[in-house]
Amino acid sequence: MLQGYAVVGLYLLLSFALLGVVLLLWWFLRPKKPNPLKLETYECGVQTVGDAWVQFRAQYYIFALIFVLFDVEAVFLFPWAVAYNQLGLYAVIEMALFLLLLLGGLLYAWRKGALEWA
Amino acid sequence: MGELIAFYLLAGIAVATALAMVITRNAVHSALFLVLNLVVVAVFYLLLGAPFVAMVQIAVYAGAVMVLFLFVIMMLGAERVGGTTGLRWQVPLAGALGAALIGGTLFAFLRAPAGLAPVGSPPVPFGDPAAIGERLLTTYVLPFEITSVLLLIAMIGAVVLARDSGPEGK
Amino acid sequence: MELSWWAHLWSVLPEIVLVLAAALMMAVDAWLPEGRKRELGYWAIGGLAAALTVTAVQAAQLAGGIAVPYEAFGGSVRADLAAMLFRVIFLLAGILTVAISMDFRPLRQSGEYYILLLISVLGMGLMGAAVNLVMLYLALETVGIALYLLAGYLRDTPRSAEAGLKYFLFGVFSSTIMLYGLALIYGFTGEIAYARIAQALAGLPAPAVMAALLLILVGFGFKVSAVPFHFWTPDVYEGAPTPVTAFISVASKAAGFAVLIRAMIEAFPTAQANWVAIMAALAFVTMTVGNLLAIPQRNLKRLLAYSSIAQAGYILIGIAAASPLGVAASIFYLGIYTLMNIAAFAVAVIMTNVTGSEEIRDLAGLSRRSPGLALAMLAALLSLGGIPPLVGFFAKLLVFAAAIESGLLWLAIAGVLNAMVAFYYYIMVARAMYVDRSPEEEKPVWISRPARFTLWFTVAGVLLLTVLVYPLYLLAQMAAQAF
Repeated sequence: MLQGYAVVGLYLLLSFALLGVVLLLWWFLRPKKPNPLKLETYECGVQTVGDAWVQFRAQYYIFALIFVLFDVEAVFLFPWAVAYNQLGLYAVIEMALFLLLLLGGLLYAWRKGALEWA
Repeated sequence: MGELIAFYLLAGIAVATALAMVITRNAVHSALFLVLNLVVVAVFYLLLGAPFVAMVQIAVYAGAVMVLFLFVIMMLGAERVGGTTGLRWQVPLAGALGAALIGGTLFAFLRAPAGLAPVGSPPVPFGDPAAIGERLLTTYVLPFEITSVLLLIAMIGAVVLARDSGPEGK
Repeated sequence: MELSWWAHLWSVLPEIVLVLAAALMMAVDAWLPEGRKRELGYWAIGGLAAALTVTAVQAAQLAGGIAVPYEAFGGSVRADLAAMLFRVIFLLAGILTVAISMDFRPLRQSGEYYILLLISVLGMGLMGAAVNLVMLYLALETVGIALYLLAGYLRDTPRSAEAGLKYFLFGVFSSTIMLYGLALIYGFTGEIAYARIAQALAGLPAPAVMAALLLILVGFGFKVSAVPFHFWTPDVYEGAPTPVTAFISVASKAAGFAVLIRAMIEAFPTAQANWVAIMAALAFVTMTVGNLLAIPQRNLKRLLAYSSIAQAGYILIGIAAASPLGVAASIFYLGIYTLMNIAAFAVAVIMTNVTGSEEIRDLAGLSRRSPGLALAMLAALLSLGGIPPLVGFFAKLLVFAAAIESGLLWLAIAGVLNAMVAFYYYIMVARAMYVDRSPEEEKPVWISRPARFTLWFTVAGVLLLTVLVYPLYLLAQMAAQAF
């Protein structure tokens, strides 16, 4: 049973190795002639101002929170999806209840303006 | 044998990333080390024959929860922790308590009394999604539906948190 | 035994009603025009009352022998009289809390508040009925998260935000520790159902069981605010919106005791000698510390917080007795305590609305300002203090009797001494109301209709139960037989 994962592991190692090889290859091949213009974040366009470490708006947090909720919900969908052949209608009703409640919650949050950008 | 090698390799990475998470001064780096740590732990679950738990670990913990962590870190603008904290006495205390925990665990393992034999062994595909799904939707359907209620309150919590926040939020 | 789908649903019928009520309230809240938001309170009361009616019918059926206790949903919940009586306590506490919230200035007109309250009552009902670890933990977390949000509900006032955060941090921490305990139990036994855990634990070495038990008790101790897990209590009680404080002090505590009683008796009967000692120690420390720290308090909510810690100590005596009488005494005590404490908090809510302050000295002259209100507070305080002939006295009598019956004479004596100490600070509050004078005595106190209902209901309940002590005791005794 673990043999199956060995392939995944091997694939992982291989992809890391490939990445390393490509990077190294480029390192050797490319000419190194840095100048200030080249080191800009964007070669053309507006000059960047300040640091990339900036504070996010608190409002994003709500989105992340709701994302976590639906992620957890999705986790429950996987076992349901593989089990419902054996269980039939019963499982469909149960999952429908589960989802309806969450959908109701989402609609409520939306209607109450928790998802507004303002 | 291969499993043992894999375990030690992964255990090394797990401990290293956990330490790096605590030691690094940049909160964003800490979070990223934690992601790595969680992924390694997910692989442990795979080795233990629990693919579903491993999947949950990646999707929920390494994915969603860490996104939330990063959001909070960025939101607070707290990505760089200052030099030292005012609670210096905590460092030796934490060290002593940690050592005591390791010592106690080692003691318990090395001197396990005869009565503590393993309680049966779990079915081999322990976290088989199909089996989980079946139990979840038949025997444990009530806890399953209550999970939905739990998620619902979390959503309402989001509404409460979003309410009345001024332009700067809070 | 294969249960019919109706039997499954019957076991959680009150929760089903509550989910439907919560869903309905979300729809109503989302589409009700701004000016009519106050009506939401009545919707919430309606939902809770519907669930209460269902529960009462179920409890009557169980008490009358028409229905037989059974376990449903793969041994997740049990439908028995104890579960139903605890639900009655939670639902009553919920209704009374909504009634005092409706005109509490900062809270009224927000639907989320009532929905969270409804769902936390739902979770509590499941806590009281849970007979396996998964259900227990889920129910605990459902209640926990709802209550953290409620405690920090007034985000714009720093004290409420602080209360929410403190409650959250302490709650999450203790629930994590409890989870370690639950994991240990599962690791030792491979079971999650209480009854099977009890069987499997019999053959295990005592230190292992003890370690798990202690970890689990951290979580339960937090819920019932037993010393030494009480540090959050005064700050959260003081900072949270007063109706929420009333709710946490009553319903959350009762729910904590419900799981404590069930878990100890059903999952750890083999470790009884151990947990009796722990409970007795906890009871002693809890009531002593609670009472002694209550004395110097000047803030009414803080005083009631320490008083509620002390009350938890008395209730723990009943559990330490570990006998049918002890359990019956604890359930009896919790029922009475719900009424008494909500009455006291209702007065606190009304006074906060009027004076904007929560200090005890601002109760000065209340007996002239609003004799009825002062009398209600007096009845609640005297009953909390256990003054005969009020029903609070019988509650104390029962737990002390249970302790003596189980050979814990020292604990009963400690309890009596504690009751005397407690009497002192309850009288101090009464003195402020009746003896102290204030320049504002002429100003009448405005009491909204729902709050008036709460006051009447609780005080009448205390007085009525004083007369009907024996039937209530019989009911508690029948519920205790469920274990």
